[in-house]
Amino acid sequence: MKFFSLLKKEIRELLTPTAFIGMICTLILFVVIGEAFGGIMEEVVDEASTYVICDQDKSDFSTQLIKTLTIIPESTESGKIEDIKYDIDRVKLIDIESDDYQAELKKHDVSSVLIIPKGFGDKAQKGEEVEIHNITLMSSGSMLSNISANDAAIETFKAQVKSLFYVNNGLSTDNIVKGETIVQVKDTTVIKDKSADISSSVVSSLLSTQSLFVPIVIFVLIIYCSQLIIGAISTEKIDKTFETLLSAPVTRISILSSKMLAAATIAALNAVVYMIGFSRMMNGIMGSVDDGGASSKVLEELGLTLTTSSYFLLGLQMFLTILITLAVSLILGALAKDAKSAQTLMMPITFLSMVPYMLTMFVDIRTLPIIVRLVVYAIPFTHTFIASENILFGHMNVYWAGFAYQLVLLVICLTVAVKIFTSDKILTMTLSFDKKSKAGKKKLKLFGK
Amino acid sequence: MEKVLEVTGLSKMYKKGIYAAKEVSFDVKKGEIFALIGPNGAGKTTTIRVIATLLTANEGDAIVNGHSILNEAEKVRENITYLPDEAGAYKTMTGKQYLEFMASIYTADKEKAKEFVKSGIEIAELGERINDKIGTYSRGMTRKLLLSRAVMSRPALAILDEPTSGLDILNALEIRRMIKRFASEGMSFLLSSHNMLEIEFVSDKVGIIAKGHILEVGTSAELKEKYSASNLEEVFEKVVKEANLHEELSEN
Ligand SMILES: Nc1ncnc2c1ncn2[C@@H]1O[C@H](COP(=O)(O)OP(=O)(O)OP(=O)(O)O)[C@@H](O)[C@H]1O
Ligand SMILES: [Mg+2]
Repeated sequence: MKFFSLLKKEIRELLTPTAFIGMICTLILFVVIGEAFGGIMEEVVDEASTYVICDQDKSDFSTQLIKTLTIIPESTESGKIEDIKYDIDRVKLIDIESDDYQAELKKHDVSSVLIIPKGFGDKAQKGEEVEIHNITLMSSGSMLSNISANDAAIETFKAQVKSLFYVNNGLSTDNIVKGETIVQVKDTTVIKDKSADISSSVVSSLLSTQSLFVPIVIFVLIIYCSQLIIGAISTEKIDKTFETLLSAPVTRISILSSKMLAAATIAALNAVVYMIGFSRMMNGIMGSVDDGGASSKVLEELGLTLTTSSYFLLGLQMFLTILITLAVSLILGALAKDAKSAQTLMMPITFLSMVPYMLTMFVDIRTLPIIVRLVVYAIPFTHTFIASENILFGHMNVYWAGFAYQLVLLVICLTVAVKIFTSDKILTMTLSFDKKSKAGKKKLKLFGK
Repeated sequence: MEKVLEVTGLSKMYKKGIYAAKEVSFDVKKGEIFALIGPNGAGKTTTIRVIATLLTANEGDAIVNGHSILNEAEKVRENITYLPDEAGAYKTMTGKQYLEFMASIYTADKEKAKEFVKSGIEIAELGERINDKIGTYSRGMTRKLLLSRAVMSRPALAILDEPTSGLDILNALEIRRMIKRFASEGMSFLLSSHNMLEIEFVSDKVGIIAKGHILEVGTSAELKEKYSASNLEEVFEKVVKEANLHEELSEN
C-alpha cells in the first residue's frame, strides 16, 4: 500500500499539464509528418509506376520492348500468352529533340527519361552490345524525391532484350545465360544547366554527407542557442539578479544585446566545433572508401559544391536563424518563473525545429500538398533547413522568399522582445500552468499595463 | 535638510482598476533611514520597484536627487542601488568576482571600481570565503554580500527590500548596525519590512502602508506619542484599525 501511495504521488507529479501539452505536440508532429509523407508518397508511387521513354529507334524491336513494360504483372500469373493484359498508361512516350535535357524534360513535365537510341533494335537483333540512355533531372537531395521508375525499367529491358533476341532468333529461352548482359546503361544526371554522366542515386549518396550533417548542425545550433538564452534569462529572473541589473545605471537595451551577443558567440563557437568534429567523424568513416577525390569532382561538375557566394548566402541565413532563435527565446525566457517552466518553454523551439528537420531529410518540401507546404513554410526554421538545397539546386526564388519571411519575422520578434524588456512586462509577465484550474487548462497571464 | 527622495502621489496598478500602491507620498532626507512598514501584500515592494525604475508609475512621480523617475530613469539609477527581496547572486561567480562585476557596472572608472570592491570586501566581512563560489554560501552570507554590494558604491540612496529577512538575530543585528553606520556618513536608505520592532530600532522615520495606501508617516517616537502606544506594533494596529473605520465611514 505504501508503495502505491508513492507511485500515485509520482504519477500525479509527472502528469502535469505540461506533460500533456508535450504529448499533444508530439501527436501533432507525427500527424503533420504523416500527412506530408502521405501526400508525397502518393506522388512518388504514381510517378514511379509510369515509365517515361523516348524511342529514337522506332524499330519493331524497340516497340516490342516498350510493350513489355505495359504488361500488368498480375495477368502473367497463369503463364499463358493469351491471358496477358497490357496497360498503355504505364508508359509515357516523349520526343527528345535536342541535347538540352533540362529544357526537354521541363517541356514534357517529367523528371527522368530513358532514351532508346537509333540502331538499338538492329544491334540487339544481332546480339551486339546495346546502350540505353538514362537521364534524370535532379532538383532535390532529399531521400524520397529521387525515386524514379527508370531503375525498374532498365532491369526489365535487360531481361527482355535478351529474351527477345532469343525468341526472335528462334532460340530457346532456356539457353539464356544468367549474368551476361548486353545492355549497357549510360547515366546522365542533370542539375540546373549542368549535367554529368553519373546516376542520380550516386549523386544522391555523394550528397548525403552534406545533407546529413548540415541539418544536424542547424538543429543543434537552434536548440543550443535557445537553451542558452532561456536559461540566462530565467535564472536571472529566478535569482532576482535581473532586478539588480535593471536598477543599475545601464540601459535595458545594452543588457539585452549583451545577452544576445554572448549567446550568439557561444553558439557560433559551438557550431564550428561541431562542424569540425562531424567532418572529422565523416572523414574517419569515409576514409576507407577514398576515391581520390573523384566524387568531389563529380559534384563540382554538377555545380553541387558550395562556392564562396553560396557559403555567404548560407551563413546569412544561419545568422538570421540564430537571431530569430535568440529573439524568440528572449520572449520565452521572460515568461519563465521557475526552473521547471523554463524547461517547458523550450518546447516550442524544439518542435519548430524538429518538424522541418525531419521533413527536409526525406522530402522535397516544394512537392508537398499545398496546405502542408504552407504550414511547413510558415515555420521559420524550415527555410534554414532547405537553404543549402535551395542554393545547390538553384531554387533561388524559394531561398529569397524564405529569407524575406524570416527577416520580417525577426523584426516582429525583436520588436516584441524589446517591448517586453523595456516595459514592466519583463518583471510581471509569467506563463502559469494553473494547477487549480479545471483539467489543467493552459493560462497565459500577461500582467502589466 | 536636502531631500534625496521625494515621492508624490505615486500609484501603480498591475491590473486595470486594482491599485497595488495608491497615491503614495513621502520623502527621505540626506542621511535618513526611511522604512516602509506594512503587512504582506501591502504594496511595499511595488512602491520600491517603481522608485527603483523597474516598474513604471501609473500616476505621480518620484524625484531622486533632482531627477524624476518619469523621464530621467537613467539619472535616477546613477543615484541609487537596489537590493531586491530574497535576491540571489550569480552562483558561478566568487564573492569577489561578483563585487568586481557590479562595481564595473556602477562606474566606468577603473580606480573607482577597485575602491568599491575593496570597500565591498571589507563590509561583507566574509574573510577568505570571499574567494569561494557564491553557490556555496549560506543565505546569511549571500545577503551580506549583496548588502555590501548595495552600499560599496556609496549611492545617494540605497533601496533595500526587507534587508534582514531570513537572517538570524546576530546577522540581522550586524546588518542594522551597518545601515546605521553608512547613514551617519550621509547615505540615505529606503527600507521595507514587516518586522516593526526591528524598524523601530533602525529607522529614523517610518511610513505605515496597508492595501497600497500610506496611512501615517513620522518618527517612531512621534507616532508612539500620537497613538499613545508603547511600540510600533501597537501603533500599526491602531493605525490600520482607524483606517478601516474611515473606509467603512466613507463607504456609507
Ligand atoms: N506581478 C504582479 N502581478 C499582479 N499583482 C501583483 C504582482 N506583484 C504584486 N502584486 C500584487 O500587488 C499587491 C502588493 O504587492 P507587494 O509585493 O508590493 O506587497 P509587499 O508589501 O511587498 O508584500 P510582502 O511583505 O509580502 O513582500 C499584492 O496584492 C500583490 O498580490
Ligand atoms: Mg515585498
